[in-house]
Amino acid sequence: MNSRERVLAALRREPVDRTPVCNPTSVATVELMDLSDSYFPDANRDPERMARLAATSYTELGFDSIMPVFSIIQESSALGCKIQWEQKDNWPTVRMREPIYTEPDDIRIPPDFLQHPDLQCVLNAIRILRKEYGNEVAIIGKTMGPWSLGYHCFGVEPFLLMSLDDEGKTKLCLDRLKEVTIQFGLAQLEAGADALTLPDHATGDLVSGEYYARYLRDMHIEFAQRLPIPLILHICGRTVDRMGYIAETGMAAFHYDSKNDPAESMAIVKDRIALVGNINNPETLFSKGPEEVRREVYRNLDAGVNLVGPECAIPLQTTIENLKEIPLAVRDWHKEHVQ
Amino acid sequence: MPELADIQNEFLRQEIADYIERPDERARILASFVKASAPMQTIAAALIEGKNKVVDQLTREALEAGTSALEVMDDGLISAMAIVGIKFRENFIFVPEVLSCARAMKAGMAHIEPILSASGIEPIAKVIMGTVKGDLHDIGKNLCIMMLRGAGFEVIDLGVDTSPDRFLEAVETHEAPLLGMSALLTTTMPNMGRTIEAFIDADLRDKVKIMVGGAPVTQDFADEMGADGYGKDAVACVALAKKLVGAAA
Repeated sequence: MNSRERVLAALRREPVDRTPVCNPTSVATVELMDLSDSYFPDANRDPERMARLAATSYTELGFDSIMPVFSIIQESSALGCKIQWEQKDNWPTVRMREPIYTEPDDIRIPPDFLQHPDLQCVLNAIRILRKEYGNEVAIIGKTMGPWSLGYHCFGVEPFLLMSLDDEGKTKLCLDRLKEVTIQFGLAQLEAGADALTLPDHATGDLVSGEYYARYLRDMHIEFAQRLPIPLILHICGRTVDRMGYIAETGMAAFHYDSKNDPAESMAIVKDRIALVGNINNPETLFSKGPEEVRREVYRNLDAGVNLVGPECAIPLQTTIENLKEIPLAVRDWHKEHVQ
Repeated sequence: MPELADIQNEFLRQEIADYIERPDERARILASFVKASAPMQTIAAALIEGKNKVVDQLTREALEAGTSALEVMDDGLISAMAIVGIKFRENFIFVPEVLSCARAMKAGMAHIEPILSASGIEPIAKVIMGTVKGDLHDIGKNLCIMMLRGAGFEVIDLGVDTSPDRFLEAVETHEAPLLGMSALLTTTMPNMGRTIEAFIDADLRDKVKIMVGGAPVTQDFADEMGADGYGKDAVACVALAKKLVGAAA
């Protein structure tokens, strides 16, 4: 199996020759920027640089996938949010303190939405990667879910308060914003993406599992039906209280956080959805060494997790040595478990 | 020893019975409500239900009736937020509900703060608070600030996206003995360590106690970064701040 075949098979929960190493969010680091001569913030806005930096996860780290969308700001930028582009050592962010919407009727998806330079950058980067790597490695795109877009466009606090004060209004906002998710997702599929990460930050640290069921479960089922490509849902934090719902959405995989025990999570989702994750970023990949990284990889493999990788976008100062340890540990685990 | 039945307000009795399980916390909360008057208990109940307009009206009426601002703040608002904080910590409620309660507390504090400011009461200590560089999230930090102010601290809020230099400058300018840093993203958490290193480089580390918090932050990470303390939520932040400056809990 090559890397692409391995990732796609794992996303279908079919047998693989070894567990794929996957980065559904981002593994861009300062060291990788130096190696590829492609730096933030330009690597978020120039398709050539974006593709070059993204490819290092395959060429330098030995991961089985490439994810060119390092941040979560593209769609919001195209909708009109102000973006703080930052420098080499920081992530671009949406200025959520300056929201662009207050009411559902404010939501307007521009007719030329997909022509926005920040979306074109992603689409062109996917085309470049597809041309460069053909079918040897899985190219994963990213389309933001409506809950995350709600934070960006309404501001986190106003959006969360709206969700408590007025359920109908909140659902109307989500319903209108979901078209952003669909449009950008389909465009990336057309550009050549093999799978899409769909971050929708109804995180365990912010809202309950009941909230997920109330506001997002049906919408996520709709995404799985309308986007004919494997979808990898990403939600941070402790999420075991909603994994049962998530497993029934029809999405291919759930990218889960280190706050969830791998064995407990696998027991909840059973064989209804693949799990991707969940190496801890701040305490392990950033702060500790290869030995601790290896231990977390083994914990995931012992539990039967389908694709292994960091829990979320990693701190930019994470060392290459720690990241390279993930595929090394996966290979060693499989050697030790040859039947 | 106060009993649940000693509290007049039925809603508060039910809240304590349903959500406050740890004996030490139950004893402390019972003690605070048993001494609270019926109108203060009503304010507390409205706050826990997130009824900001009711809290606004009841606070105004209580002050007009001659209740002291300190009594309304301590017995009505802060005591209620203690229950909210525990419910949040134990996952009985989540951030939207906490925000709703915070909005109600703000409605009450809007009447109380001008009175307290004019009274010239000395703060427990000055605290510099900010979200670290590269991070624009501030809900948790703002909840902590609200609770710290309610507990008697003077807080200088540096807002979001705060560079190590700005933290340094603020601590020096205000001669603050305490600094609190927040981060919501695993990608920005390392900037807590960078800020602490900046204090070491500037030879100021011994002059300030540093506390950290935020959804992905843990005690282990705080220790790794060299912080003096970690608070899981706003209630823990206040207790930690008091401990670090040697104030009575």
